[in-house]
Amino acid sequence: METNLKSKAFQEFSNAAETLVNPVLQRWKDQGGKVVGYFCSTVPEEIITAAGLTPFRMRATGSTGTEESDAFYSSINCSFPRHCFNQVLTGDFKFLDGIVCVNSCDHVRRIYDNWKRFVPTDFIEMMSLPRKTGPDQVGWYTEELAMLKDKVGKHFGVEITDDRLWEAVKLHNETRRLQKKLYELRKQEKPPITGAETLAVMVAGTAMPKEQYNEKLRELLDELSGTEGPGGHRARLLIVGGILDDPAYIKVIEDQGGLVVTDSTCFGSRLMWVEVDENASDPISALAQYYLTDRPSCPRMYGEHDNRAQYVIDMCREFNCDGVIGERLIFCDSWLVEHYMLGQDLKAAGIPMLKLDREYLTSGIGQLRTRVQAFLETMGR
Amino acid sequence: MLVGGCDVGSATGKAVVMKDGEIISYVIIPSTTKPEVTARTVMDEAIKKAGLSSIDDLDYIVGTGYGRLKVPFANENISEITCHARGAHWLSPTVRTVVDIGGQDCKVMSIDEKGKVLEFVMNDRCAAGTGRFFEAMARVLDCGLEGLSSLSLQGKNPSTITSQCSVFAESEVVTLINEGVELVDIVAGLHNSIAGRLNAMVRKVGLVEDIALTGGCAKNDGLAKALEEKLGVAVKKLPQDPQIAGAIGAALIAEERLNRQS
Repeated sequence: METNLKSKAFQEFSNAAETLVNPVLQRWKDQGGKVVGYFCSTVPEEIITAAGLTPFRMRATGSTGTEESDAFYSSINCSFPRHCFNQVLTGDFKFLDGIVCVNSCDHVRRIYDNWKRFVPTDFIEMMSLPRKTGPDQVGWYTEELAMLKDKVGKHFGVEITDDRLWEAVKLHNETRRLQKKLYELRKQEKPPITGAETLAVMVAGTAMPKEQYNEKLRELLDELSGTEGPGGHRARLLIVGGILDDPAYIKVIEDQGGLVVTDSTCFGSRLMWVEVDENASDPISALAQYYLTDRPSCPRMYGEHDNRAQYVIDMCREFNCDGVIGERLIFCDSWLVEHYMLGQDLKAAGIPMLKLDREYLTSGIGQLRTRVQAFLETMGR
Repeated sequence: MLVGGCDVGSATGKAVVMKDGEIISYVIIPSTTKPEVTARTVMDEAIKKAGLSSIDDLDYIVGTGYGRLKVPFANENISEITCHARGAHWLSPTVRTVVDIGGQDCKVMSIDEKGKVLEFVMNDRCAAGTGRFFEAMARVLDCGLEGLSSLSLQGKNPSTITSQCSVFAESEVVTLINEGVELVDIVAGLHNSIAGRLNAMVRKVGLVEDIALTGGCAKNDGLAKALEEKLGVAVKKLPQDPQIAGAIGAALIAEERLNRQS
């Protein structure tokens, strides 16, 4: 990615976001370390880390087509699973030692069905994520996580004790705190890091062992603290939506003059804005409580729209945003109605919103530019 | 004060020259494969038509349209969404909703009393409901673009055409032709189908009167009539060629920039 940042740490994050296996992960593998892939940010990475494994959030970075996977899907399936499963079939995910799937949405769920049936894999698990976020559902999810913990422990031959889990929780909370510090810097009038660059840092965090990631992130924070970016942008924007792991998409927006200063996405602030309660009675129920209830939710969860809208409005105020861009993968059932409702809520709060549909691989840049430029112009910028 | 607006679209290039707030010339040409060449050719022709000697006679030029980044002589580029809104508002100040149907995009804008865009929606990447769609249908029906409009107005029992994708709609049309359906009814059906799509887009920003059509397809009276039926309100006829609304808007913004400078 084109960048003005001279930082070596950032360069590593940026490279990690542009590929599946980054050098840090490769070293981990070379030293005999194992990697477990997972779909959807509602899978607790902490359980994987506690087993001495490195969690890897599934993406389809570097995919060039869906020729292999199209036979397994239809033309009305979301482009993310089609690209991702294509890479599964072409062997790009051979570096994984296991997979954890979740019924996050029907499109992604079908990756599990196809993967299990057609691609020999030693460890592939499906978790059941509740639709609601109340205490009953937390109870259910606690049981799901306990089962996942046992299965991971058994397969990889590790006893995942509470101590190990608490250690993982603390490590991951540290990641969250550091990432949040990075976001804090973006509140400045001239943020030292762009939205595209920040997304690269966030994506890298889902593809490296957390100790090494935290170390590099501390380095980046030291370099950026007390510095200013070039400024001169026409507007400050928040981006809200689902799976968005491609910094190049945000770069197109920022090249039109709209600086993305914060977000509500599942590769962004929703991963880390809130922490897991380190003082809870047991780690598994603390994780269930966090992943299901405490953290800002995604529209997959029922009955939570008002909280989600409020989160976006609060973030806008906190980061002094002029407008909101809502992005949605075409055929995404979870985000179907959300953007329309959110647009109404934002209108009432006096915040303009631009809604964009997109494909998983950034394309149709001409129309994207026109929309973003026109949006900035409607704001008088 | 002499200003220019240059709208380089996917299908046509449009240029407008304005002097002290009045249009003194405009030209429309088919787009070439090089947006820079389209821009230069159409602007040069408009300058000649205005009786001027060179592009240097213009004090400020705004580029717009799909090729707006490739207008080498423009002082600035502004999105066609903003420009069409400004142009339509200048042509008819009571307009509050603008439906722009160009070669490969259609857009609906809601605007305020000053012609500023409040909200807009734009079609997806496919050619449904755009000039390209009508070109493809005119080809399969062998009636020419102008023929489409008049045929549509003669349809008594419009066929139901559900596909808005140009490729699929073409197969539906071929089926209807082979079933012996009257040509006028097929064409009317096509217009209804596109009008339905435009209606849905209008509902997204909210229908506020007056509503006007801009862009090349705005010249299609059959489409205007079909849209009026769907919307349940009359479409305001613009007093000038609706295809140049974007270029007019660009020229108006050029003028505004000069006024701000002085």
